[in-house]
Amino acid sequence: MDRKKMKILVVVDTVILVALIIILMTLKGGYEEQAKRTANEQESAYLEQNTQVLVEQWRSIDQYGMAWKLVYSMLSGAKTEAAFKANLAAIEGDKDARFKQISHVYTGAGINDAVQNGIYQKAGLAEGTILVKNEKNVKEVACGKDCVVKFTFAKGKMKSVDYSALVEYNLAKTLKIEKPAEYHFE
Amino acid sequence: MNLKNISIALTVLVFGVIAMLFMQKGNYVNQAKEHYDATTAKSFKGNSMVLELVNNGLDLNKATWAIACQALQTVKTSQDMARLEAKFFPATKGTMSLANKTRRFEASSANVIVANFGKVEEDKKTGVKSLADLQSVDVSVLLGNVVTAAAESEEAEEGEE
Repeated sequence: MDRKKMKILVVVDTVILVALIIILMTLKGGYEEQAKRTANEQESAYLEQNTQVLVEQWRSIDQYGMAWKLVYSMLSGAKTEAAFKANLAAIEGDKDARFKQISHVYTGAGINDAVQNGIYQKAGLAEGTILVKNEKNVKEVACGKDCVVKFTFAKGKMKSVDYSALVEYNLAKTLKIEKPAEYHFE
Repeated sequence: MNLKNISIALTVLVFGVIAMLFMQKGNYVNQAKEHYDATTAKSFKGNSMVLELVNNGLDLNKATWAIACQALQTVKTSQDMARLEAKFFPATKGTMSLANKTRRFEASSANVIVANFGKVEEDKKTGVKSLADLQSVDVSVLLGNVVTAAAESEEAEEGEE
């Protein structure tokens, strides 16, 4: 290679080198920021998804607790349609008792107050009524996720109550914490 | 010659910097991945544990509620109650208090019910006393009122069967 070509190569190399160093410095901040941002976004999305499962579990247990209390009230007290309405209204309306009953289940399962409060802050109590079917002689109440208790009445008197779904209630079938997906750099 | 060396060195440097450019990206991606893996693994472990503990806790809770509610429908005597308890908890027996006319069943400290009976009966042949005429079933512990039932256990005697 002659001297002239060498000179051109040195100049070109120098220019490329300077350009690359500028690119390197520019991208450095960009990559760092992008990597942190995407990691944070994906972490938040996963944490939110997980929390949502615990929120759903908490609300389901609220419905579960109310349903047991209603069944118990109907079996131990007046067995009439009017009593059903009164019991349901009283149970749903007593929010302190509802929280106490949920908290008792969690405490019994070994979950401490701090964790319970964390979930309660996000979940609150189950919204709306648990009465999902309100026909003349048939009333159905939700007793958690995919769980229904059926009360049958005739001439205002309770004929039967089917709470087999409550006895067999298994949240593990319907609620699951998914494993985190792989991190991907966008 | 000198110029040749410089141009070779510069060319090597150019390729070196290009390699650094790619390595730099990989480095940040790895750091982010490590952070993501650690955070999500911790969340997965913690939340799965809560979910599982509560679901398992419900097994005892629902069976205790089931005894209380079925007792109201089917139980008349303490023997009936004992049979019902054994149906759900073959290994756990309730304790009877003739003085209080109660039968207390404790699946766990958080899952306790107390059946209240109306009278004490005595088997004339064997002289064994039992309780009859179920009046009510106290579920206050299941509702979270733990204090009430703790007092009940003091005078408990060993159950029959």
